[in-house]
Amino acid sequence: MHQEDNLEMLMARYQQGDLSAASALIHRVSPQLHRFFTAQSLSRTDADDLLQETWLRIHRVRHTYRSSEPALPWFYAIARHIRVDHYRKAIRISTREQRLEVEPVHATADHEPFAKANSLATLLAPLSPAERETVVMLKVTGMSLEEVARATSSTVGSVKQKAHRAYKKLRNLLSATPQSSRQRGEQS
Amino acid sequence: MKDNEIDNLLQAAGASHEPDSGLNSDVLNHITATVQQSLKPVRPLPARWVFVAGLLLIGFAVAIAGAARAGFFGIEQMSPWQRLLIFPSLGILAVIAAGEFASAMIPGRLRRISSGALLAVAIVAMLAVFALSFRDYQTTNFVSAGVACLLRGLLHAVPVALLSGLLLRRGFAVKPVSAGLAAGALAGLAGLGVLELNCTNFQAAHVLIWHTAVVLVSAAAGALIGWALHLLRSPRA
Repeated sequence: MHQEDNLEMLMARYQQGDLSAASALIHRVSPQLHRFFTAQSLSRTDADDLLQETWLRIHRVRHTYRSSEPALPWFYAIARHIRVDHYRKAIRISTREQRLEVEPVHATADHEPFAKANSLATLLAPLSPAERETVVMLKVTGMSLEEVARATSSTVGSVKQKAHRAYKKLRNLLSATPQSSRQRGEQS
Repeated sequence: MKDNEIDNLLQAAGASHEPDSGLNSDVLNHITATVQQSLKPVRPLPARWVFVAGLLLIGFAVAIAGAARAGFFGIEQMSPWQRLLIFPSLGILAVIAAGEFASAMIPGRLRRISSGALLAVAIVAMLAVFALSFRDYQTTNFVSAGVACLLRGLLHAVPVALLSGLLLRRGFAVKPVSAGLAAGALAGLAGLGVLELNCTNFQAAHVLIWHTAVVLVSAAAGALIGWALHLLRSPRA
């Protein structure tokens, strides 16, 4: 809660043009946002790009933050908007590639999806993007249901429903492969 | 497997992932330098209620101005019971729509109702109110009179949508389609308000279908415009 208060104070100072507050916010919030992006099975390069794009957007719309509101959901709302844009762009690209019947271009080592190396992304891979982001915000970032609802511009009921569906899927998958889940747990 | 076991697994995976997140200081320094270049004080958005009041004022002003130009014949011929049922319902729905549109333009704002649910509630509520209020089941000039009313309602919805967009121009819609739908629903309700004030055709089928269609068409147009604006502004693939 104390950290939240600080985020809000820093945000208010950032709006007043305080560089040290802007720098502190960037260093404090960026690791969480980066993790949010990489947990969506994005490559490291993509996550870096999206993080920079998110901060550019945050900077452009920083006046839309109101000091009476929690700051973290505001950051996540913008990060999510950028991520959804990226997702749609990726779908458009993949559709074109399929239509042209071109052999898929192999990614370079730098663009290799994190899912292979990242246990969180692997664990969440079977979930839909909306379920994945809900689980990451709730269970990895530790946001409350209301904060997630704020970040996703949806209602608390809708967040509960997504979390319930995600847990049902995870429970079924992990129960079906107890060996692999145990190994994953041991690795972590 | 129990929920708390999944919780533990997710938290462990998240914690193990953290040191290898790959976020290096170069990226952070680059972001800081970029932000620094154009850092200046900004004026935060006013409180949400200011926007809600402004939106309601726009809707009310356009509805009254439209009815003043065309005549208040509809409300004059209504029974007190019909007036009491229709106009407060329209007012309540307009307050909800204005609140949702304002919330949609402020990132991180808690939504009480989704835009789709808002539209469904508005349509169902108005259908129920009209079904209770009008008992003339004739269908004289159903299409010609209906199309004229639909166009008149939409014609008045346009300025409401434009002025609402102007009022909330400093906002940022993280869900543009949803924001467009809420704006369209609000504008449509204002258009419907003009029809209720002016239209003297009290045939149930006319009011139920053509008057309610103003809200539906306006909300659909708003969603479409929100989607198109988002496509125009987003980087091309």
